Amino acid sequence: MSFLWQLLRDAVPMIVHGNPYLLSIIGFTLEVAAIATGCAMIIGLPIGLAIGLGRFRGRATVQLLANASLALPPALVGAVLFLLFSSQAPLGSLELIFTRKAVFIAQTVLALPYIVALSAAAIQGLEPGLLAQARALGAGRIQLSILALREARIGIVAAIIAALGSSLSEVAAIAIVGGNIYGYNQTLASATLYEVNGAHYAGAIAIAIVLIGLILILMCTLGLLQHQGNGLRLRFGTAES
Amino acid sequence: MSYLWHQLTGAIPLIVHADPYLVSLTWVTIRVGLISTSLAVVIGLPIGLALGLGRFRGRRALQVLANASLALPPVVVGIVVLMLLLPQGPFGSLRIEFTLTAVYIVQAILALPFIVALTPAAVQGLPPGLIAQARALGANRRQTAMLALREARIGVMAAVIAALGATVSEVGAVIIVGGNFQGHDETLASALLSEFTYTANAPYETAIALILLVLVIVLIGGLTVVQRRTDGIRWRFRAAT
Repeated sequence: MSFLWQLLRDAVPMIVHGNPYLLSIIGFTLEVAAIATGCAMIIGLPIGLAIGLGRFRGRATVQLLANASLALPPALVGAVLFLLFSSQAPLGSLELIFTRKAVFIAQTVLALPYIVALSAAAIQGLEPGLLAQARALGAGRIQLSILALREARIGIVAAIIAALGSSLSEVAAIAIVGGNIYGYNQTLASATLYEVNGAHYAGAIAIAIVLIGLILILMCTLGLLQHQGNGLRLRFGTAES
Repeated sequence: MSYLWHQLTGAIPLIVHADPYLVSLTWVTIRVGLISTSLAVVIGLPIGLALGLGRFRGRRALQVLANASLALPPVVVGIVVLMLLLPQGPFGSLRIEFTLTAVYIVQAILALPFIVALTPAAVQGLPPGLIAQARALGANRRQTAMLALREARIGVMAAVIAALGATVSEVGAVIIVGGNFQGHDETLASALLSEFTYTANAPYETAIALILLVLVIVLIGGLTVVQRRTDGIRWRFRAAT
């Protein structure tokens, strides 16, 4: 046990004293999580709404695709993006490979299925009469969408939690397209690979502790928000009536 | 597009001629998927059934813990397992660090939360009277558990599918505890990472990505078909008993 104890004693000071390398990867991790989840929401929520509310042909197919893409290995997504971004490739002229932008894009692509599939499922789980009634009362598309988002918000926050969680702990895709470059485009999760590879076990443990802490804080905050949503609903309801 | 076409035409012959490196990667991946998932099912199913059916104190807390462990980053699990297995660590005398055995163990640990968390959810989703009725008619624990398992089999299968998907596509923990030794404990997904990062052997990369895609579709798709079919099997069970 003395070995584990010694590692912990080496790891804790790095966190407490704010090791600059550690701080820089925490910053980049938060940036990736925020940008990727934000972009995935901007692109994915309209798609999720369209699947959940729309009555167009091929809706079931789109939903099946979104659900299936949840099972795609991130390493595979990374490989496909690498083949598109590498220098002679179709998108090679954008010079994205091994940059921070490549990491943002890869993580957005990975977060998108969570937002699309889970928000569509949340909207489809609403009471069947609710949306029909709104339609009958003459709600336009935008009004209907806002109503659906508001009513399905618990499921939608769950989708956001899942997307954030994946961007915090995923390593394969970002290491492939980003190259896992020391202190430049490493996230906490991908930096652990680097540290273990160099047998810097105390560093790896310090990063792992910070990663767990970050996940706990984000998940608990969002989980609380999710449940307080019910309180908000009441206030919304009384404000309107 | 000619670049992508070139990659594909380079990859196909490697697959068709059963390149030994690709065969070994595929074989390791299948073994990791099946062995780790089986281990997780053997250990996790009794725990999941106890959480779903049991009426003991602390059941709620254990279930929350199981759900939370789904959000654990694989790299963190990998680091903890590696620290335990290193020669200086508590289980160092086993000398299984950086071997395929260590990969089986860590992937089984990662698959476990899927089984333990999703099985009780499936069991608790059964019609409330069913289990109570069986108990009232004098079913003992084992009979009740078998009944619950049979009735909740679609949800339990979903848990197994999720676990299998995770073990096949996971990269971070595999690399950390296995060391990603070529042809030894490298899986298809983890090989993608090492191939794309350190070399530029594009036909191999494309071939590995193609095989991984097919493997995921066959394994997950196949099990999903079995899952859907089980409704038919149920009828036969009924008729036979």
